[in-house]
Amino acid sequence: MKYNSLMLTLGALLAVVLGTWLCMFQVRNTEVAVVTRFGRPTRTIAQPGAYFKWPPPIHKVHKVDQRTHNFESFEQVLTSDGYNLLLSVYVGWNINDPKMFFPRFGGSESKAQGSLEGLVRNAYSGVVGRHPFSHFVSTEQKELKFAEIENEMLQRIQADAQANNYGIEIKFLGIKKLGLPESVTKLVFERMQSERQVLVSRIQSEGESDAATIRSAADLESAKLLADAEGEATRIRAMGDLETAKSFKVFEQEPALASFLLQRDGLESFLKDRTTLVLDPDTPPLNLLKPGATTPKSGK
Amino acid sequence: MPVEPPPPPEVPDDSSSQALSDALKSSFAIVKVLMIGLVLVFLGSGFFSVGPQEKAVILRFGRPVGEGDKMLLGPGPHWAFPYPIDEVVKIPVSQMQSVRSTVGWYATTPAMEAAGTEPPPEASLNPAREGYLLTGDANIIHVRGDLSYRIKEPGLQYVFKFANASNLVQNAFNSAMVFAASRYDVDGVLTRDFAGFRELIHQRLTQLIDQQQLGIVIDQIDLVAIPPRQLKERFLAVGEAQARRGKLINEARNYESQAINNARAEGTRRKAAAEADSRLLVASVAAEAERFTQLLPQYRNNPELFMWRYQTETFQRVMTNAQEKWLMRPGQSLRLELDREPPKLKTLPQRAAEPGH
Repeated sequence: MKYNSLMLTLGALLAVVLGTWLCMFQVRNTEVAVVTRFGRPTRTIAQPGAYFKWPPPIHKVHKVDQRTHNFESFEQVLTSDGYNLLLSVYVGWNINDPKMFFPRFGGSESKAQGSLEGLVRNAYSGVVGRHPFSHFVSTEQKELKFAEIENEMLQRIQADAQANNYGIEIKFLGIKKLGLPESVTKLVFERMQSERQVLVSRIQSEGESDAATIRSAADLESAKLLADAEGEATRIRAMGDLETAKSFKVFEQEPALASFLLQRDGLESFLKDRTTLVLDPDTPPLNLLKPGATTPKSGK
Repeated sequence: MPVEPPPPPEVPDDSSSQALSDALKSSFAIVKVLMIGLVLVFLGSGFFSVGPQEKAVILRFGRPVGEGDKMLLGPGPHWAFPYPIDEVVKIPVSQMQSVRSTVGWYATTPAMEAAGTEPPPEASLNPAREGYLLTGDANIIHVRGDLSYRIKEPGLQYVFKFANASNLVQNAFNSAMVFAASRYDVDGVLTRDFAGFRELIHQRLTQLIDQQQLGIVIDQIDLVAIPPRQLKERFLAVGEAQARRGKLINEARNYESQAINNARAEGTRRKAAAEADSRLLVASVAAEAERFTQLLPQYRNNPELFMWRYQTETFQRVMTNAQEKWLMRPGQSLRLELDREPPKLKTLPQRAAEPGH
């Protein structure tokens, strides 16, 4: 009868769904599954897909996230030269051996991170304590061991994780924050303040001395330019004098006449303007005004 | 004794059983329709669309469908079996992602930032709340960084290999900032070589992304770097001092160019004057020589007469030009006032000074 067959179909469907739900499981490509038989892990499945198992309580499936997780930790550490540093690192880790991981942490990632915390703390004191402050921050490239410290910490934690059979792998580690204790920051501010002060006065005096240097160099340069020009001018004048010397040769034919002419020109230009003359009446040709005077030369 | 076969079981009630069977039939039909409907809805719920900036991967029973690049579905409508058979994972490949690094920034709240205010600076920095970076010269500065990045194709790494990839990207960015600051001095970051500082962060971050296989591409890094707010005035004072130094040096440079130009001009002037003087001298001496040559025959003819004539002629000219002339006998004395007033002042009202001559 139709009714019965319907019921039968529905029942079968339900049974299949229930059976599938109890006896099948999926492994996502981000996970690894650990199958336990009566609580004891029997197999791990890393390949994603659908799988069969016996229904509980015979088999149980535990899924473990295989992706890389981020873990951060913050700690105050002492450097080898006695500075207090506040160091914060982050760690990328994942579960690489679910068989070890599972019994150890019961599949709980947060429990694993608790143990990881301990490992990181060991690395802080073990690694950081061997480095001076200048390996963390320095303007000298040679002094800096920033990446080396990260590497050392990473290796240390990796080794510890392996030795402890945690079943986890530490993929990378980075320093994400570097600080000083609160009381020290105050001192740093004071030091920075005085550094600024020194800088201000240095810049000021630098500016003044630079400006003075430029000015005096300019003075020197212009004096040199003027001296050069003056030298050139003297040379030009000398050339002129040299040229006139040729003309002076002409005068040598009759020095008396030459000297007369020169004197006359000189006298004339000397008496050119606004002159007051005081003369002896005997000066020729004023002596003509005297009675009985004769011109001595024309008389000849 | 013949046993009567028992009467066939009585159909309880012909009409009522008919009604029940009818009801069952119709409800059966309804259930059928419902079930077909449910199946259709179930299958129809498998439709999904991939946006233009996305790729998608179908996980069937947890395993990606397709091999290699074929598992990536491009933009457009797609279909997958509904849960629990298939799972659709979308990868925002070409979409810009961004993270902000505040390990180097002082404590503030989004509300304060929106309002443009900041908490008042305290005398010291509480490491639990306040962020800052230590520079190579052990100074404190604040740097805030914004990183824009894209997921590198095909993006499977980013989606499937990390529990929280953007968190790791942010930490790599933080680490690169701490790394870069640790080798720069405070003025290098704030003024002298800010571009170099950013470049170093970029470089270090690229390195970390490669090492940690984060599968992203850096698009842009924006940084804001400021001195500690506690020392704002001090740092401003340094800036002012630098400006003053610049001004002093500029003034000196101005003076320099002016002085040299002046000297050059003066030099040129002097040379020109010398040239002119020299030419004038040469010309006048030449003219003199020529006159001499012309006069020479006359003079040689009769030197005495020549001299006398010229003397007289000259005397005449001089006397004409002279302003005042005095004749004095030998033995007469003359008093001379040397302190004559400048000619300009002669127009002023007469002074009491007597004009002694």
